[in-house]
Amino acid sequence: MKSARREGSGRPRFVSGAAAAVALAAVLVCAGCSPPGAGKSAVAGGQIAITDPVTTAQVAALGDVTLRMWADQAEKPLMKSVIPAFEKQYPNVKVDITYKSFDDLVATVVNAASGSNPPDLFQGNIGYAVDGALVKAKLVRPLDDVAAAYGWITGTGASTLAPARWNGSGTAFGAGNLYGMSPISEVQGIYYNKALLKKLGLRAPRSLKDLEEALPAVRKAGEQPIMLGNSDQYAATHIFSDLAVTEQKPAAIRDWIGGKAGTSFVTAGNEKAADTMADWAKNGYFGSGYDGLSNEDAVSRFARGSGVFFVGGSWNGATLDPAKFGFGALTTGGAGATASPWHISASSKVTPAAVAFLAALHTPKTGQEILDTGRLPVVTDGVKGGNSLQSQTLDALKRTIAAGTQVGYYDWSATDMLTVMGGRLQEVMAGRTSGADFTKAVQDAWLRARRTQ
Amino acid sequence: MSTAAPTTGRGSTAPGAPASGNGRAHRPHRRLPSRSSLSSYSWSSLLYVAPALAFFVVFVLYPIGVSVWYSFYAYDGLTQGTPAGWGNYTAVFTDSRLRAALLHSLVLLFFYAVLPVCTGLLLAGAMSRIRVYGLTVFRAVLFLPQILSSVVVAVAWRNLLAEDGPVNSVLRAVGLGRFTTSWLGDFGTALPSIGTIGAWVEYGLCMVLFLSGIVGIDRSTYEAARLDGAGPVREFFAITLPALRAQISIALILTITFALRNFDLIWNTTRGGPGTSTTVPSLYVYQDAFQNRLLGRASALAIVLTLVILVVVVAVQLALRERDVPRRRFTRQGTRGSQCRKAQS
Repeated sequence: MKSARREGSGRPRFVSGAAAAVALAAVLVCAGCSPPGAGKSAVAGGQIAITDPVTTAQVAALGDVTLRMWADQAEKPLMKSVIPAFEKQYPNVKVDITYKSFDDLVATVVNAASGSNPPDLFQGNIGYAVDGALVKAKLVRPLDDVAAAYGWITGTGASTLAPARWNGSGTAFGAGNLYGMSPISEVQGIYYNKALLKKLGLRAPRSLKDLEEALPAVRKAGEQPIMLGNSDQYAATHIFSDLAVTEQKPAAIRDWIGGKAGTSFVTAGNEKAADTMADWAKNGYFGSGYDGLSNEDAVSRFARGSGVFFVGGSWNGATLDPAKFGFGALTTGGAGATASPWHISASSKVTPAAVAFLAALHTPKTGQEILDTGRLPVVTDGVKGGNSLQSQTLDALKRTIAAGTQVGYYDWSATDMLTVMGGRLQEVMAGRTSGADFTKAVQDAWLRARRTQ
Repeated sequence: MSTAAPTTGRGSTAPGAPASGNGRAHRPHRRLPSRSSLSSYSWSSLLYVAPALAFFVVFVLYPIGVSVWYSFYAYDGLTQGTPAGWGNYTAVFTDSRLRAALLHSLVLLFFYAVLPVCTGLLLAGAMSRIRVYGLTVFRAVLFLPQILSSVVVAVAWRNLLAEDGPVNSVLRAVGLGRFTTSWLGDFGTALPSIGTIGAWVEYGLCMVLFLSGIVGIDRSTYEAARLDGAGPVREFFAITLPALRAQISIALILTITFALRNFDLIWNTTRGGPGTSTTVPSLYVYQDAFQNRLLGRASALAIVLTLVILVVVVAVQLALRERDVPRRRFTRQGTRGSQCRKAQS
């Protein structure tokens, strides 16, 4: 633009210049014109088979090494206690950890893992965008031997490994080889404001039926029944999935999320759940203006006392005062999932140290630290809640894991599912489309993903 | 008028100098003694621009070239891509979501470009008639939205436009309570609301551009107009507006580019929602490149978007090109100064 005006004649002469520059650039880049990504070969060699738990001696044999890690910012409080303990146990290993915000992590970790100097141990994210890409490009080490050696596949939390299992080509997950491990679990459910419930003479809902009875009464009393902030388009999908899981078999939902051929989202249960969302919205159970409110703002409003219920999950609990709020699951067992799994780079030169670190995360001691830092552990043996809210959430999790209802999140099913489902659900709730249209649109996106992924 | 000539410096825009870049570059060289020293001279002068040129090639030209290259492949950024021919481009042109997104962009074009330019003209026109004390302060304050990070702008406006935000409070206070809504959460108002945010960001830039242009207008022309009995409106349309043609052209280029490639404001306010009511093409570029790992399709869409912006900008330049030579020197000077400010921001 600058050059255009300096020429002064007012003629857009720079266009030809720009076109020439672009052509030149294309020629420069395209000199060989081989397909992008050609010549990149997956590093496969150098993997040590793990048959028994890694010993201190095995790690010490590595000499003075650095274990390079990438983690979600949310892991920081936990890592502050885990890393010093690890470095004390394995004095020859220095941990060098990089924290990223969740959005930043999922946007960059795949490229970091495929770079020339990848971190040894890092968090991915369940689903096709991150974990699927890592598996497909063979960037992460299979962990079946590690899981067997440490007994992860038989102890508590064994079922939570499923979302980190992939088929060899990275096109379906939920079964197959294990490629990651998450020590942190999540459970969906409903938070309630104890004081408001008492004032309205209602008891804490233990099922969806209880909630459906309570909602009109709350509305009648002039309080906002459910606090919802849906401008980021995902909060409502959690409520939807709580409703949907009561109507159908958890295994069927899990299969669909995992991309199993022949499964469909167009079911009577999903349609009914979507219609219920529309009814609740129409009846004012979510208040007004929820699409203009962020989820974060909604949580802080609920924490300050507006809204009788908040439908979310254990990740929302950290900011709520345990004296004022309670938690329950709406379904038998409740629905839930695991947080971002940890992966070991396929080209790591310090694999024993990375395995030892993973093992340190998967212990009852770390489980207690996870709960103490406001989240839920996968390993729950002997773990105790420090307050009523933590205990309630932990109970719900245990029941979820026992009932096998950790179905995962719908948006794992395709890289753009969050956008498609979140946006379409907003339209359903605004009365612009029907539940039937919604399930069909979601299934179309799912099928499109099967073709491209 | 003649006093302005020396300040333009370097003789590059001296009156009567050929407008073409080549003529300018060669004139001083003719005084040099031989061909060999001429070539060594031009090579060493190239050294001065080399750092900037290297930067430009590495961070602008090369990425553009890579985008063009990727756009002809199905590529996930990790495993070897497969040639896709024009497939990515046909996908861009047949995607119904993108047509809707392009329509949204056209609506935003009004808010992000037309509205700020009109507002800027109005303000600048008013300021040219009324002697404003502390003009610098005014200009700085009105320019402020330009320098704020767009995330800050988005968060601030999200709160202003919330269901229980200040905008609705004001409406209720003046008895317009029935018009209150969750501005960014309502299917009908989300797009115009985002447009308003964009207009707020851009009008300060336009105003500053126009003010700097007005400074260059000979005051005697206003006096002459007034002697001829022209009112403020006539004066504005007869003198101010034509004199600002170059600035309007620049303002439109900047705002149109901003409008068509806007992503951050939308991502941080509505993420394209509610439903798909505020989606724009750049949102899909982001989603395809970083979420769906469809780098080929994202690149094709980005290239198409770039070409669309280029075509629109060229059309504006053609429509607003100048014909009267003498006055141009002043106005151009003005824009160059204000563009530096833009670059600093």
